[in-house]
Amino acid sequence: MDAIRLENVTYTYSAGTPFEKRAVDGVTLGFEKGLLTGIMGHTGSGKSTLVNMLNGLLKPDSGTVFLGEEDIWADKKKLRSVRFRVGLVMQYPEYQLFEETVRADIAFGPGNMGLPKEEIAERVAEAARFAGVGEELLDKSPFELSGGQKRRVAVAGVMAMRPEVLVLDEPAAGLDPAGRESILSGIREYCRITGATVIIVSHSMEDMAVYCDRIAVIARGKLHMYGTREEIFAERQTLVGLGLGVPMITDIAHELRALGITLGDDIYTVEGVENSIRNLLAERTNARKG
Amino acid sequence: MHDLVLGQYFPGNSIIHRLDPRAKLIMLVLFVVLTFVANSAGAFLLILAAAAAMMALSGIPLAIYMRGMKPILFIIIFTTVINVLMTTGEVPLFEFGIIHIYKEGIINAVTVTLRVVLLVLGSGILLTYTTSPISLTDGLETLLAPLAKLRLPVHEFSMMMTIALRFIPTLVEETDKIMNAQKARGADFSSGGLIKRAKALLPVIIPLFVSAFKRADELATAMECRCYRGGEGRGRLHVLQYRARDGAFLIAGAALLAGVIAVNIFVPLYRL
Repeated sequence: MDAIRLENVTYTYSAGTPFEKRAVDGVTLGFEKGLLTGIMGHTGSGKSTLVNMLNGLLKPDSGTVFLGEEDIWADKKKLRSVRFRVGLVMQYPEYQLFEETVRADIAFGPGNMGLPKEEIAERVAEAARFAGVGEELLDKSPFELSGGQKRRVAVAGVMAMRPEVLVLDEPAAGLDPAGRESILSGIREYCRITGATVIIVSHSMEDMAVYCDRIAVIARGKLHMYGTREEIFAERQTLVGLGLGVPMITDIAHELRALGITLGDDIYTVEGVENSIRNLLAERTNARKG
Repeated sequence: MHDLVLGQYFPGNSIIHRLDPRAKLIMLVLFVVLTFVANSAGAFLLILAAAAAMMALSGIPLAIYMRGMKPILFIIIFTTVINVLMTTGEVPLFEFGIIHIYKEGIINAVTVTLRVVLLVLGSGILLTYTTSPISLTDGLETLLAPLAKLRLPVHEFSMMMTIALRFIPTLVEETDKIMNAQKARGADFSSGGLIKRAKALLPVIIPLFVSAFKRADELATAMECRCYRGGEGRGRLHVLQYRARDGAFLIAGAALLAGVIAVNIFVPLYRL
């Protein structure tokens, strides 16, 4: 069952001028309900354009966007409610902060939905927890925060609308490894606990391998692959041909295999490989003892 | 936001594109003078023909020029109505209740419309569409260089202009981005009364100002790091050079001015 689905959508920028650029070209792609799907592609591959069509910020030149069973462009008046149901966190979302306090900024979305005060307060607290915004930050000005903290506040601002589909465009771009890990695992928590459908755009294979249930690969505006991480990363040659690749750890595991050291199934995350190597070493030590 | 055509460079390699920006600036001044000197049908025809020729030479599709006219449509309609209704003459052409329309009113309306259209067209053909902002400010700086002797900060002025022009697209893009981000959070910019709409823009204006100040600060630091200290003794990468075509272009302009004056005097058809 797809929570949201693109049917043969196309989008062209600046049609009819020398700057004309077809950013998305006939993409059909469904996002399965309750799963975390990653959209992977190179810079300029059309990922961001694609996600801006999911909540009706851009209208496809042709093709249809289905949210559940409905075409989101069928009734223009309902577009605003579509935006509450499909929460979009844009690239570098820290620039969208404007309120006097972090709390008020997170409450902007739910406030626009016309919810009662108590409900808003509850949602702000919940979203802050998911996004890793500490209690002590809520009454500060968003402009006093560090880059990573601002990013989290912006993510919380969208989570607070409790969208059934949460879309994040490069949520971890420009953060340090600890920041990446904390924001991405918060997003995964949100997906698991609320049962929402989550879509992450990224060009980091490593992040995709760790966090995503499904991966879609986009290149030059077209959908090239869709599947589980095992299915996707098995196609190493195709990925390299598209200017992408597989996680570094997967490459290392393959090299090891060539040397006659066969690791377990999970060769896509550092953790998985670490575990297999530990097991392997333990086995060998035992074998030597025995 | 993207139909902000008025004031947008349209890359190309036509003869008009390749003219020296100084020649184009001088020609624009000449063109403005022309539209105000002209006061007879023949003179306007002459200028229109010249504008059409330049448009053809520029190689920019007619549709782009037409799109640039859209923002001034309201002004044209407004002044036409006022002119037609308010100008009085000797013999009314048409009367209905309190409405009296005179021949003078119509001539007035057509003249003003033509002037506005020609001004917008002229600046579009000669500058905004065919001259990149950088070469435009370069041209301006060289043209105004003599004023530096009067201790006017010509270089600083043109640097400010370059930076301002450089950042217009960035700011437009940024506004777009912020508006989208707030729309994604359910902000509503297009309904409600004037006050409600103005209030709805706060979530856009505040982040826009914050980032503009930040960017200005960063730019200043970056310029200082590269030892920028104003215009004194500063060389330039592109040295402007007049060529034969620039001379020919300006001579054609002067000829046009002479022609317009002559037509005004000798063929004063539909003269004001």
